[in-house]
Amino acid sequence: MGVRERNESAWLLPNDGTRTNHRLRRDMRQFADSDEIDLVIVGCGAGGSVMLQRLARAGWRVAALDAGPFWDPDTDWVSDEAGSHHLYWTDPRVIAGSDPVPMGSNNSGRGVGGSMVHYAGYTPRFHPSDFATHTLDGVGADWPVSYPELRPYYEQIEQELPVAGERWPWGDPHGYPYRPHPVGGNGEIFLRGADKLGIMAKVGPVAIANGRFGNRPHCIYRGFCLQGCKVNAKASPLITHVPDALAHGAEVRPDAMVTQIAVDKLTGRALGVHYVTGGRERFQRARMVAVAGYSIETPRLLLNSASSRFPEGLCNDFDQVGRYLMVQGAPQTAGRFDAEVRMYKAPPPEVSTEAFYETDPAKDYKRGFSIQTVSPLPITWAEHVAAQGHWGPALREYMSDYVHWSCLGGLCEFLPRPENRVTLAGEKDSYGLPVARFSYSQCDNDRALARAAQSVMEGILHAAGADEVITIQRYAHLVGGARMAEDEQHGVVDRYGRSFAVPNLYITDGSVLPTQGSANPALTIMAVAARTAHHLAAGIS
Amino acid sequence: MSGGGRGWDGRFPGFDVLDQVRHWDQVTADVVLARTCSPASVKFFTESEESCGRALLNLLTGQDGKAVPVLEMVDSRLAAGETDGWRYSDMPEDGQAWRDTLSHLDADAYQRGGTPFADAAQADQLKLIQAVQDLESADWHGLPAAHVWSLWTRYACTAFYAHPFAWAEIGFPGPAYPRGYKNTGVGKLEPFEVGDAHPSEDPVREDV
Repeated sequence: MGVRERNESAWLLPNDGTRTNHRLRRDMRQFADSDEIDLVIVGCGAGGSVMLQRLARAGWRVAALDAGPFWDPDTDWVSDEAGSHHLYWTDPRVIAGSDPVPMGSNNSGRGVGGSMVHYAGYTPRFHPSDFATHTLDGVGADWPVSYPELRPYYEQIEQELPVAGERWPWGDPHGYPYRPHPVGGNGEIFLRGADKLGIMAKVGPVAIANGRFGNRPHCIYRGFCLQGCKVNAKASPLITHVPDALAHGAEVRPDAMVTQIAVDKLTGRALGVHYVTGGRERFQRARMVAVAGYSIETPRLLLNSASSRFPEGLCNDFDQVGRYLMVQGAPQTAGRFDAEVRMYKAPPPEVSTEAFYETDPAKDYKRGFSIQTVSPLPITWAEHVAAQGHWGPALREYMSDYVHWSCLGGLCEFLPRPENRVTLAGEKDSYGLPVARFSYSQCDNDRALARAAQSVMEGILHAAGADEVITIQRYAHLVGGARMAEDEQHGVVDRYGRSFAVPNLYITDGSVLPTQGSANPALTIMAVAARTAHHLAAGIS
Repeated sequence: MSGGGRGWDGRFPGFDVLDQVRHWDQVTADVVLARTCSPASVKFFTESEESCGRALLNLLTGQDGKAVPVLEMVDSRLAAGETDGWRYSDMPEDGQAWRDTLSHLDADAYQRGGTPFADAAQADQLKLIQAVQDLESADWHGLPAAHVWSLWTRYACTAFYAHPFAWAEIGFPGPAYPRGYKNTGVGKLEPFEVGDAHPSEDPVREDV
């Protein structure tokens, strides 16, 4: 079946230079709170939107509630860094541990489309080894799902986004539906340095069609991928899955903050969700609930849904909720060239290498890292420069050199650890709910990986001709926090995302991932959700 | 402007980001141009916090606040509660953290020279700021100095490098929708970009 027959989203968008199909939204089906719909989804990002689209197509009566707005790229988004602050989840959160992880703009989205509205656009697959790191390397965890079980869903989603890139030689080798994009200055530097060192690097994989796709126009290489794509060229669920879902009778209810999942005391089944919209508390009944609030808000919602049956939090009888939360170590190394690189021209995601992804028996650490172009805009670049200790005139002088710098980012597979977790803090948010406290600490293997990635990036930049290199230690992405496992002693959900504790409660976002590999997680989150949706749709028919 | 450095003026002769406003989409233009209007009056900071904060933020960004009103930009963020969405567990929330740390900075200035921070000689102000940075993760008035430094520089840089004045200084053309870029690649310029007049004056290399 062609992609348009499965998912017509790109053809449901306007082709007149505007970006939103307002009629589709105006005519959207609207369920009453009192309707017992088939499925209510909490969160309309990578996982939630795929569930919504798949199950609407299967004829389910389904609604997705999102705490944030139903974005219109024309009027809500700007081609500007500071002006994009509203794309991030900026409700209060507390960060702790020996290596606390900043949230907000780095990893947390808000509104329909979720974090994929502001992700860079890289969409690599996980490697087959990621699903069995415990067996293969004695670290991390084995998934209750294998790579071959996920492969068909990877292929589907790659066509639906769609993904552009060179034929991919790493992991399970595969091709992409669209040819690679031409590279800008930063990609050119990476390819040049890698070639000198004999390191294989490839263009892609990015969820930006190289060409038109349906009514979505070609990328204009303006470099603001992380500020929301005003062009509709970079994929996010707002344009890749939500339009088709609406056309098949789904409802998206924006500005609706879910505060609690209700569970029947007698039957132990979920009844629906309490939510707040327009300052009013409401309750949506549903036959089934899917939580897709991502790795901080999903555990927080479960913990905030404590009841007499679940005094420590919903699905938390075995103290698994919020644990094994992962972030990738993301050291960012920049190199200075006399030539002008002007890395802000072209999408930040251009070129990657996964040559260091797998465990190398010759090294004293397990697992590995990938390296990708990242092309920070001025505010983010200032953070990189200020991290070197510069301020005042020295900061200004360094910053004036912006056009000469090329910047690479590592993604290191930091290991899942039970003590890296979300709990509830003492303070409350504007809804009166306890906010999330995220504690994070690295282990020795993590630190060794970050050092190794930095060293490779320095090597590539020097080989390309850089005279100086500077590095900032960062994190990227979030997964885990409600992981899938073989049993309820080791995780929160089973291999299909169904919670062990509540038979009609599913989790369908990045929090179910037991390991993270060295891959950007968006594609895998969507593929896992598509698999769960397929399972549910098949079960009902 | 405070001294130090070789200067960064004139690297991109004649380059003015605002020359291209007619090519920006209206929504973006409205957001960016608002930053170039006279700054809103101070709402969040008290009078003494304002003086102290203005001196601190101007020194952190190496300017006198006339080109880029960093104090007002930070103030309006705090007044609107526009935080980054997280705080360290050993720091108060951002608004309170700003109030507390400005008051600590004043206390340090009193101890050193008997005046509030804003009235101290610039050499003393620079030393007081440098002392906080030099503490790294050690304690400063009951707070980890590194987290204080992170708060200050994060807000300062986010404000300063949001301004077209700062973009022109670093050769960055700012908004790029709906036009985009056609000449990407090392050494390639758009017709409206201006090349660096001193491409081999690498501040890093000169410091070595």
